[in-house]
Amino acid sequence: MPDTTSDSIIQVSNLVKTYGDFNAVDGISFEVKKGEVFGILGRNGAGKTTTLEIIETLKKQTSGDVVVNGYSVSEHPLQVKQSIGVQLQSTGFYPELTLVDLLDMFAAMYDVKVDPMKVLKQVDLEEKANTFVNKLSGGQKQRFAVVSTLINKPSVLFLDEPTTGLDPHARASLWEVIRAINVEGTTIVLTTHYIEEAETLCDRVAIMDGGKIIKIDTPKKLINELIATGFKRETIRKEATLEDVFMNLTGKGLSDE
Amino acid sequence: MSSSKRPSQLRAYVALTKFALKASLRNKSTLFFSIIFPIVFIVALGMIGGGGVSVKIGIPDGQVDNPIQSAVSNISTIKVEKGTNESLKAELEKGKLDAVLEVNSQDAGFYSVNLLTSSANPNTSSAAQSIVRGIVDQVNLKLSNVTNPPVYLTNTEISGRKSRYVDFILPGQIGFSLLSTALFGTVFGFIALRRLLVFKRMFVTPTRPITILLAQATSRLILALFQTTLILAVGVLLFQFYLPHGIITFLEMLLISAIGLISFLGFGFFLSGIADDENSAGPLVNLVSMPQLLLSGVFFSSDLLPKWLAPIANNLPLSYFNQAVRTVTTEGGTLIEATPYLLGVLAWGIVMYLLATKTFKWE
Repeated sequence: MPDTTSDSIIQVSNLVKTYGDFNAVDGISFEVKKGEVFGILGRNGAGKTTTLEIIETLKKQTSGDVVVNGYSVSEHPLQVKQSIGVQLQSTGFYPELTLVDLLDMFAAMYDVKVDPMKVLKQVDLEEKANTFVNKLSGGQKQRFAVVSTLINKPSVLFLDEPTTGLDPHARASLWEVIRAINVEGTTIVLTTHYIEEAETLCDRVAIMDGGKIIKIDTPKKLINELIATGFKRETIRKEATLEDVFMNLTGKGLSDE
Repeated sequence: MSSSKRPSQLRAYVALTKFALKASLRNKSTLFFSIIFPIVFIVALGMIGGGGVSVKIGIPDGQVDNPIQSAVSNISTIKVEKGTNESLKAELEKGKLDAVLEVNSQDAGFYSVNLLTSSANPNTSSAAQSIVRGIVDQVNLKLSNVTNPPVYLTNTEISGRKSRYVDFILPGQIGFSLLSTALFGTVFGFIALRRLLVFKRMFVTPTRPITILLAQATSRLILALFQTTLILAVGVLLFQFYLPHGIITFLEMLLISAIGLISFLGFGFFLSGIADDENSAGPLVNLVSMPQLLLSGVFFSSDLLPKWLAPIANNLPLSYFNQAVRTVTTEGGTLIEATPYLLGVLAWGIVMYLLATKTFKWE
């Protein structure tokens, strides 16, 4: 039975995923709280995507268990799937279908009703309703990918490196979308290797390396703890960046739109 | 949150079938290989009339007027070409003429006929020989005033439908287009959907993998029935392709096409599991499709193949399919007469599905 008393929505315990002799995920345990933006920060190959895919029921774990919304991923994968939204690292859409087609298709797969235009409006893509995904810019593609995961009104949304490869303006615009979804009450779990993304977007961050979670806390606490050890940054933070100069001069971000 | 409503697999199945079909109709290579290519072939090859054998005989200029020459010129299946003796002989060597008819006259009323043939066209050369021999015999009888020869030949033709090349090529094109849909469409289609993570994105939803697979198969089945209908329509409307029992034959064709497509899909699923990407898929697909295109009676009858190849050629899946189609169309047979061939098609399908269960992969 779903456990609704706890304030955590995901419980991961002693999760292990082995490929041959290699431990991609090496006995990790953590909880994600209802309503937070939870970030898994790590370099490529740290085990972030594997961890996420086990929670999303896309991969089977070697041992340990994951409970999402009160359902075990190994025992009730369909119930888990019905209550989550997942954005993969790259596209995942038929190249020959339009955005409206794709939204209709996903609505049928979740057996829910949606108004595709309303969905597209959420991310300013109404004008692209009859466009193919390949014809969208990188930022538009990611915004569509995110909004396509909301069709089943998920209680948790998983985003795997959502802003990788985006220019700073498109990144900032996607952050806005993610924040708006979170404000509506959706818990968000994302992986990233951008420090800035973890710092500005996430309520709590898990730092992952070599298949293990080294530390979990709010970005502020993590930084303060480090400063308390007497740590000092070697370089002085610039008062302005070249991007600020560009935006100041043109009034626009360096955008691909 | 705990709405335990089970999502309807049926609704997902219908939608996935519809959108898979929509996607493949928008895919240019699917459209080309499954629909445009077979129709172009039928239109182009349908123009080749079934006039039977035509024999080209050269008659050198400046020969004396003689009854043999004029009799030869009057036969409709013979095309007479005039020219100098040298130029006609050169044409004969190249195989552009089947024979050259030299007629000399030593004494008035006596002729010597020399028919030059070449080894370039053995079949038509021998046809030319027998035609000219027949004419020479007739002329001899006439000139000898024999009006009542002891042996008299009459030829009675029994009724039969005039067989044209389109009658042969059309069933073969249906087979080929279904094989293309099942092979090229499935192998390259699945590889692309894997590479683009389309399948993975679908697995995120509560729709079951079997529903996704069935929808993919169904969309191809619908496409195949459309292909068969379209090819038959072109054949019937443009080339008077003959459906012996009308609508019944058409329905039988749809049934045979469905069985064919489902079996051929086994090949597609099997190969899409072996191939990692488009580059390795190309040779694999050609390895399966090219021999069948050549040996299964798509463009020419497999009767023309060397004897030792026959056991292989006759047992290929496309050969069984084409034979089943020809049984109910060209040969005017029943579905029961086509059943042995359909069982052959199905047997291949079962073997391929068994192999596909070992190789199939979603990612």
